[in-house]
Amino acid sequence: MAEGAGSREQFLPAQYQPALPLDRLILKDGSPGAGDRMELDVLIVGAGPAGLACAIELAQLAKGASTELSIGVLEKAAALGEHSLSGAVVNPRAFRELFPDMQDSDLPFRAPVRKEAVYLLTAESRLRFPTPPTMRNKGNYIASLCEIVRWLGEKAEALGVNVFTGFPGASLLVDGPRVVGVRTAASGLDRDGRPLATYLAPNDLAAKVTVLAEGTRGMLSQAWCTWQQVTAANPQLFALGVKELWETRHQLDRIIHTLGWPLPRDAFGGSFMYPLAPNLVALGLVVGLDYRDGALDVHSLFQRMKLHPLFRRYLEGGEMVEWGAKTIPEGGYHSVPARRSGDGVVILGDAAGFVDVPSLKGIHYAMQSGMLAARAILGALQAGDVSPARLADYDRMVSESFIVQDLYRTRNMRLAFKDGFYAGGLKAALMTLTGGRFPGRKITMQRDAEVARHIAPGVSPGPLVPDGRLTFSKVDGVFKSGNVTRDTIPGHLIVGWEGTAELAEFYARLCPAGVYEQVDGGLRVNAPNCIDCKATDVLGPRWTPREGGSGPKYKRM
Amino acid sequence: MSDVLAVAEQREGALRKVSSEVVTGARRLADALAARVEALVVAAGPVQGADQLGGFGADKVITLANPAFGRYAPEGYARVIADRARAGGYRAVVFAASAAGRDLAPRVAARLGVALAQDITDVTVEGGAVTVMHPVYAGKALLKLKLTATPAVVSLRPNVFTPVQRPKAGAAEIVPVDAAAGRVVVTGIKAAAGALDVAEASIVISGGRGLKEPANFKVLEALAAAFGGRAAVGASRAVVDAGWRPHADQVGQTGKTVSPTLYIAVGISGAIQHLAGMRTSKVIVAINKDKDAPIFKVADYGVVGDLFEVVPKLTEEIRKLHG
Amino acid sequence: MKIAVCVKRVPDSETRVKIASDGKSLDEAGVKFILNPYDEFAVEEALRRREQAGTGEVVVVSLGPAAAQETIRTALAMGADRGVLLQTDRIPADGLEVAKALAAELTNGGYDLVLFGRMAIDDYNHQVGPMVAELLDLPCVTAVAHLDIAGQRGSAEREIEGGVEIVEFPLPAVLTTDKGLNEPRYPALKGIMAAKKKPLEVKPTTPAAGGLEVVAMTPPPQRKEGKVVGEGPAAVPELLRLLREEAKVL
Repeated sequence: MAEGAGSREQFLPAQYQPALPLDRLILKDGSPGAGDRMELDVLIVGAGPAGLACAIELAQLAKGASTELSIGVLEKAAALGEHSLSGAVVNPRAFRELFPDMQDSDLPFRAPVRKEAVYLLTAESRLRFPTPPTMRNKGNYIASLCEIVRWLGEKAEALGVNVFTGFPGASLLVDGPRVVGVRTAASGLDRDGRPLATYLAPNDLAAKVTVLAEGTRGMLSQAWCTWQQVTAANPQLFALGVKELWETRHQLDRIIHTLGWPLPRDAFGGSFMYPLAPNLVALGLVVGLDYRDGALDVHSLFQRMKLHPLFRRYLEGGEMVEWGAKTIPEGGYHSVPARRSGDGVVILGDAAGFVDVPSLKGIHYAMQSGMLAARAILGALQAGDVSPARLADYDRMVSESFIVQDLYRTRNMRLAFKDGFYAGGLKAALMTLTGGRFPGRKITMQRDAEVARHIAPGVSPGPLVPDGRLTFSKVDGVFKSGNVTRDTIPGHLIVGWEGTAELAEFYARLCPAGVYEQVDGGLRVNAPNCIDCKATDVLGPRWTPREGGSGPKYKRM
Repeated sequence: MSDVLAVAEQREGALRKVSSEVVTGARRLADALAARVEALVVAAGPVQGADQLGGFGADKVITLANPAFGRYAPEGYARVIADRARAGGYRAVVFAASAAGRDLAPRVAARLGVALAQDITDVTVEGGAVTVMHPVYAGKALLKLKLTATPAVVSLRPNVFTPVQRPKAGAAEIVPVDAAAGRVVVTGIKAAAGALDVAEASIVISGGRGLKEPANFKVLEALAAAFGGRAAVGASRAVVDAGWRPHADQVGQTGKTVSPTLYIAVGISGAIQHLAGMRTSKVIVAINKDKDAPIFKVADYGVVGDLFEVVPKLTEEIRKLHG
Repeated sequence: MKIAVCVKRVPDSETRVKIASDGKSLDEAGVKFILNPYDEFAVEEALRRREQAGTGEVVVVSLGPAAAQETIRTALAMGADRGVLLQTDRIPADGLEVAKALAAELTNGGYDLVLFGRMAIDDYNHQVGPMVAELLDLPCVTAVAHLDIAGQRGSAEREIEGGVEIVEFPLPAVLTTDKGLNEPRYPALKGIMAAKKKPLEVKPTTPAAGGLEVVAMTPPPQRKEGKVVGEGPAAVPELLRLLREEAKVL
């Protein structure tokens, strides 16, 4: 557990992380073990905004060109939207481009942003400061990603796209260096991996082009990049966001963002609070996973945060109706893989790192990347040429689009905060003023797991005793996420360690869903609690795909 | 004056306890209608305990008898009850929502061409109409329903209409009836396999991590035994996940939802996941050494203390009660 | 073997219940709808019987709104052959009226078996199956947890208080299915694809309101504040007294 001689106070999470299980994630096409096989023109893994926008654009273009395309979308959740979670304040431009005949009022948004406020919080009070230009949201809309995904799903199905919910993509099928499809996860296995009466074998879906739209920390995207040695200037960085949806007694009329308390100064992040409706409030806390304090617990910090007068005044007397968590790729421009297309495959959205942290936007980039991929893919299919050179059209289109322009402008902002809140804040302000030109040189970052953590007892506030009215335990949160994962499914987390109570405690604090507990000096794993946020995959035991339908059932997150 | 027909139940020639609930409920309705209660039981011959029904409010007790009716015969019972209801011009017909009642009431209602309010928890008269309460959405909401046809056919949820004894005893009569051979024949009853299921038991005692190790569940099993076969031992998800107890015993999260008359949570802290499974229990008792455990907020009665001292004492006292 | 299965589209039991502004029904915003879990046992049983017989047809029938087509498609994805939606936006609270609408569709269908789930997880009414049986004058066994069929005779087991009832009946018959009868299959990917092409007839229907009217839907009564009776084993006698005299459960 020691990092240097005699220093028992620091450790590197990376030391205890198992390697990516490439032998499971990449399979030779034709490997035994599959039940049914299906052939498609295009297979999309992930029915989030990127995957569905890609499917819709493909179907629309094909229709326009009088071409018949068989398009399949695999989604691990039991129903559309159940694994989708975001703030969210959405830039409508991708929607307008995808649905040019619709008015904004036809789009799946809740309300336009009218007022907004940014605060710097202290334990007891707040200081309002002018909204930084990167965070101005006029012209944008408050929305629920679940509602967006369900709406997009209906449009896709109406266009003849086959959306297969409850089927996770578990492995890439390859032929030489070429990706030829995906194998889904089996279902109906017991804890020891033995088939039950309801056993359904994995399916192989073969396609001319496979689109990876898995979202944050996608396993197949990671596997492909590792296998094909596609790297980026910086490793991808992640933040963990814990979010709740409340029905409130008091009305909220503005979107709010905060910085500062309750985050320690060596952690990057902030909070958001958005009114989906005056009495339906979404709020959450986002913290970069490179935090130094090994005892930091994002869920706990979020619970504590709600007691601050700014939030408390809206939440008092209300009811928490949903809870959830998800990681967000934060590395920005320098962490986007050198190429996001290859032999038989393209990568979209969060899986490719298309998220702009300073403006907290990712949904419209995800959709735009999906639409650009669709155009490139249709062109390739029509020309009968799905070679890497042809699919690289997608990369070219993305580089020429606002996706890369926006990410480039803010390329160092998040990264500046690795030096702490004040230095980072100063640098970020300078970058804003200079449109990203100064400080402009790439700031080098380490992988989150390679950032040393210290365990100093008493530094982090102790666990909050939840009151069940404003603050809640992790178990209560998991219940409100709608998670009813079968308790007897095989464990899906790969733990690579035999060891100390401190590391178990670190995992226990890391995971917002209470999957890990430190019990009698050892690690207890409550895998069915997992809500697929992927924080564990970033800093701890590896996440692998499990039976379809497992995990949360978000409704309006 | 139109009366209320209360359909009692017998098994093997003895009246089932739920019959007193049916008559109690029928009496409540009859009082609101200023009507009389006629209790009815279908059997092979005289039914032991039928004459007690007067003590629960029946003005008259009729046994419809035929040798073929010893065991429940769905079609035969439905026919004779419907015939009686039609002939007697009753204002209401009341069943128990027991296994037999839930099967029989719809058949009778369909034969009479009227609606059935099944599994109700309260019955009154409002504006001249029989009005009932019925839990829906797994008890998360209550529906108030009005029956507009006559007779109003209802079935009562068991364990809700607590029998109320009255000093009066009604007249009992045996009426022979014809039994057309029904097509559906009950050929026997066998014992349920294995121990009482947590979802069926009227008393559930659930244990959590506070029991410290699997062997200590003995303590709960002893308490369950003291209740004389009416109690089952359940478990929180934590102990099921730890492999201490089988999944079939799990209460809460994806284990079973239970709604017993009495739920005793021992060494369980009361996370929402567990509470969701037992929330609709009639009475909840919690035993836990942590006075701040969330379960005390949900329990009707709580004892703060060491379960290894409290539970054996409770077991001893329950044994004494059952003599 | 020709089998009809009647299914219902219901809110997921994990639904947080919010009462609509009319004070009588569920607010459907954000509610996920599923195939009634008890009906899944019925669909599964029908599929197994057809498989055992080697030949036959499984027809899925539902009374419900247009969205119930999705529910029928789920059953088709499991393997049923075709579906019929009796489309209406107003499902009567009176189960007998529901039964009449279904019976009208099922009559003359020549079904060997008509299967229902024992109850729906929204209304908990336990009645449409046996009522349809009465209307069609067919033998009926409810809450079947075990089933054997040999030729034109069937034998079923159903749970009763303290035991299991064994029941024999002739075919054709109506059965309602209970948990434990079987393990419903997950729809396979191929099944989901195939379901899109299977015939699904939509017939607009106007059931009568019947004899049961919803007056109001309200949240359940709040549990009264609980009390800590005492500490340690010394509290036991008082606990027992309260359980007997106040709560009346002993």
